[in-house]
Amino acid sequence: MTATATATARTFACKVAEVAVGKPRIVTIGRISVGIFQLDDGYAALLNICPHRAGQLCEGPVCGTTRHTDRAEFIYERAGELIRCAWHGWEFDIRSGKCLVDEKLKARIFPVHVDGEDIYLEMGR
Amino acid sequence: MLIVDTDVHNYWSSAEVLLPYLEPYWRDFLVRGEKPGPTGSFPHGHRPWLHPEGFSRHDIKPESEEDNYLIMKEKHLDFYDIDVAILTADEPLEASTLANYHYANALVKAYNDYMIDWWLPKDRRLKGSIIISPTDPHGAAAEIRRLGGHKDIVQVLASHGSQRPYGDPFYHPIFEACAEVGLPFAIHFGGQGGVNHNAVASGPTAYYWETHALLSQPAMTHVVSMISNGVFEKYPDLYFIVIECGVSWVPSLMWRLDANFKALRKETPWLKMLPSEYCRRNVRFSTQPLEQPQNVKHLWETLEHMDGQNTLLFASDYPHWDFDAPTNLHIPPAWRDKVMGLNALEVYKRIDAPAATARVA
Repeated sequence: MTATATATARTFACKVAEVAVGKPRIVTIGRISVGIFQLDDGYAALLNICPHRAGQLCEGPVCGTTRHTDRAEFIYERAGELIRCAWHGWEFDIRSGKCLVDEKLKARIFPVHVDGEDIYLEMGR
Repeated sequence: MLIVDTDVHNYWSSAEVLLPYLEPYWRDFLVRGEKPGPTGSFPHGHRPWLHPEGFSRHDIKPESEEDNYLIMKEKHLDFYDIDVAILTADEPLEASTLANYHYANALVKAYNDYMIDWWLPKDRRLKGSIIISPTDPHGAAAEIRRLGGHKDIVQVLASHGSQRPYGDPFYHPIFEACAEVGLPFAIHFGGQGGVNHNAVASGPTAYYWETHALLSQPAMTHVVSMISNGVFEKYPDLYFIVIECGVSWVPSLMWRLDANFKALRKETPWLKMLPSEYCRRNVRFSTQPLEQPQNVKHLWETLEHMDGQNTLLFASDYPHWDFDAPTNLHIPPAWRDKVMGLNALEVYKRIDAPAATARVA
């Protein structure tokens, strides 16, 4: 393996100003649709295809959910950390891509880098 | 491959699209009368289960009435290359929840005229359902006879929520009219409120998702009732189509019915065949929402017991939250041509078979 092959290629996704907390930006890179999210502590990117039934994952609402409890109390938590797929409403953690009810089901995530006003993704292969 | 989608919901942005189609007396009801929501909402005795996220897919966001068609065209009809889409309305099915059956009749009549005027001319792929309110079977029969001859109308449709099981002789005027004009009678999940107070057996469940999983309950009752009351002896060519009520419950119900019938057929001497034989001959089931077991072979084996290759009709339920995409329907590959489209041509005889099947090869 050569040094150039191990270097992570970065692909421009969008401007920082085009993304806001709770308002992801959906960009098409090549033939791949990706949702870029601003979170409280940075940015995240998810493939805009839900691993459940291939729906448009990132077009759903950014939201929180209810905490596991032992009784009938409804504790809303993780506001802004989850994306609910636009089609069937399955909840995914925006940072990890993991589905809440089945962690084995993962949406594809892309590492994000911010350089000044620009957001770049590691698209991998 | 020919794709006939048997459950496509044609939304509106406001029920006020019906105003031009209502007679003045009923127009006053809709303009000044009480509604279950803001101006433009459709009157119905609302279901007590409120979907916590709303019914519609979140990527479907119409901003104008025209968008309701344009988005359907872009994201569904064109995207999946669907040959025929059978419109199943949406809120109009809820007219069956109103106590005032005259008003219910006026509303569904207005919807049917609006659908014929506004939707059908937009796209040759669209076919219509005559929505009826089962609360007035004679009024429903009159509506079926009024519009039953329209070339792009392919079925009569009522909510699966009702006051009685549909095989009850109270409803037979509806089937008589369907048989007369040569249209199938279909029921679709809905109408679970108002005067239809038997939406869930044993009483009302609390949560939307548990209630939705029980959507098969009234359908089971209706299928059994239609068979036992001899509707298919009286109208042997009538197709009864069960839309959005699940499918994997059918085999076990038929096993039970056949066993009971063998012992107690004397209660219903008008039946000449086993219950499962009537079901196989006269009843069809839309696929969506197709059950999702961990191992799909468990589903396929179940579907074989209901002759699913011949009794299932593809439906997407566009644009709802439990939508099934045509590209991702988990049925045996060998069944695809039939389930995705050819079975529908057997049932919906008005669909222009030569034009539709020209695409099959």
